[in-house]
Amino acid sequence: MGAAVVLSVAAFVGSASGAGAGGVSGAAAAAGPIKVGAISSLTGPVPFPESSAAAKAVFDQVNATGGINGRKIKYIVADDKADPALAAQAARRLVDQDGVVGMAGSASLLECAVNAAFYKQKGVYAIQGTGVDPVCFNSPNISAVNTGPYLGTTAGLYFASEVLKDTKVCMIFYNIPGFESAVKQSVARWTAITGKELTYFDMSLGLADDPTPQIVKAKEKGCQAIVHNGLEAHAIVWGKALKAQGLTVHEIALTSAYTDKVAKELAQAGAEGIYANSEFEPYLSSSPALKDWRALMKKARVPQTSFAEGGYLAATFFVQALRTINGPITRKSVAAALLRLKPIKHPMVGSPYSFGRGSAHNPNRASKFVQVQNGRWVVVTPKWLVLPTA
Amino acid sequence: MIQSAVAGLVSGGAYAALGVCIVLVYRMVGVLNFAQAAIGAFGAYATFVLYENGVAYAPAVLLGAATGGAVAALLGYVMSTWFSESGPEVRSTVTIAALITLFAVAFRAFGDSPRSVPDPFSGAAFEVGGVAIGATGAVAIAGAGAIALAVGLGLRHTVTGVRLRALSERPTTAELVGIRARRLSIGVWAFAGAVSALAVLAIAPSRTSDFLGLGMLVVPALAAALIGLLRSLELAFLGGLAIGLIEGVAANFPSVSPYRQALPFFVIVTVLLWTERSEVWDARR
Repeated sequence: MGAAVVLSVAAFVGSASGAGAGGVSGAAAAAGPIKVGAISSLTGPVPFPESSAAAKAVFDQVNATGGINGRKIKYIVADDKADPALAAQAARRLVDQDGVVGMAGSASLLECAVNAAFYKQKGVYAIQGTGVDPVCFNSPNISAVNTGPYLGTTAGLYFASEVLKDTKVCMIFYNIPGFESAVKQSVARWTAITGKELTYFDMSLGLADDPTPQIVKAKEKGCQAIVHNGLEAHAIVWGKALKAQGLTVHEIALTSAYTDKVAKELAQAGAEGIYANSEFEPYLSSSPALKDWRALMKKARVPQTSFAEGGYLAATFFVQALRTINGPITRKSVAAALLRLKPIKHPMVGSPYSFGRGSAHNPNRASKFVQVQNGRWVVVTPKWLVLPTA
Repeated sequence: MIQSAVAGLVSGGAYAALGVCIVLVYRMVGVLNFAQAAIGAFGAYATFVLYENGVAYAPAVLLGAATGGAVAALLGYVMSTWFSESGPEVRSTVTIAALITLFAVAFRAFGDSPRSVPDPFSGAAFEVGGVAIGATGAVAIAGAGAIALAVGLGLRHTVTGVRLRALSERPTTAELVGIRARRLSIGVWAFAGAVSALAVLAIAPSRTSDFLGLGMLVVPALAAALIGLLRSLELAFLGGLAIGLIEGVAANFPSVSPYRQALPFFVIVTVLLWTERSEVWDARR
């Protein structure tokens, strides 16, 4: 049945383009809405619902102001519940049945890893709102707007050694299956950029473990900075454990720790000082770069988080690519538009967004670091810290 | 090395308390309770919710322990009503069903995001070998030891203890001589449930407290209970501490460290092999 739908869609698109240049608007109207897909973990163990919600707000706004050449965007979001089987099914449904022209604003633990090969086979291109797994940054068909955990790790190490000038930099990571080699590459990238080596590197922490034994070890090794990849709840546990062990080190976490709750809880426990990497303009700051985003999120009632920034940017860039298309908007023309996209500068990101024909994409190389002071996150690097290429 | 071992002790205290509860329930009512830690986690979550809603910590803890006790008592009621004549295998299987039910109910009731956990005794209490042991950890270790001792003594020297022992040895006879079997056994369940809630509360501040992780603390706790051969409360207590120590030390060795969560299984298998060795050897002869 899926194949039949694809055939009929293809025939439809074919006949629409056959109508000739003069009939573009008529054909466009006949072709119905432009279908754009997203596969996100809306529920499940690690949900990121804000990204696609923010993307939807952008598309709704575009539709409200006349759409793309009069055609509305129909945004179809599927929930993968962080389950690979559901992610695979969702991609097949979106691409084969619904016939989406591309993907924008997805945010999932594993969607890229599951579907990248399928996207490549079908010629589908995706602007990931929040890329997490290594494949999001290693596929010709996917270009995420966020820095991601790998460049983020390198950025955290770089911040420790080059900005805070710590000579003994340590790294203690929660072991997430499938991420190990990518994390090691992040360290190798830092070593290539700075010529420095880690004093202590431990990747054996389980997600539910007490980090105290590792912290004790870090104390023994004389670490001045510890970079870790804890999520919100871990960051709180870490802050308390470091304080309990009387360790005054620079604690540096990835974007996932940059939340209001972490700041409040750590302030309450008297365990402040943690740094985190913000991959976009820090969302808890009052930067003017966030004005448009903030207004739109408020209007659409989407929680203002870093993920919401990712979804907003992904949809914005996708729309920008759509607007460059002359003629019918099909999967093929969207792919071509994305591939020839000129690097886009946006005030919410420190390095221009691009897609291009590379076999891997990670255009966002910029970070701003924030620190918990007096129960609030404060921006400590007002200028973008852009990772040099090694 | 010693430092890492000491760092593992706090977890060991909580394993010990849970292990003692498992032994207690097994000895008194003949059920290997796989849901022991999940019951404790349920009580602990009740505390978190109350605390988040403005209840002071001390009453929140009491109410949380009461919740743990009530959930356990409910399970005990189910067990004595429908499964009093069933064998230990069936009863233990019922607790596995209870474990899964508790996970499902907790996800519905409390959501699946980790909680922020109040730590009333934050900051260090004292130092051992350069490692600061927080008051919560110290209380967990001392509490587990005290409970193991007190329960052991109580079983030997009090009337209730004697009745309980009679009940565990010869349930029907005990009932015939007028011991109120059901009330007593539900009491044991409730006591173990309340203690488990306290144990989970002690360990929660040092872990990312999602319900699944806390409920699965039953694995090291079972290993501790097995070290006590499901009979000795004192040995179960020491076993819990030992597992904590082993986990702490393992953090020192990169080759073993990634397998820390599997260490309790290793302990379980070793203990089973050791205790069952004579049977195997006898069968061979």
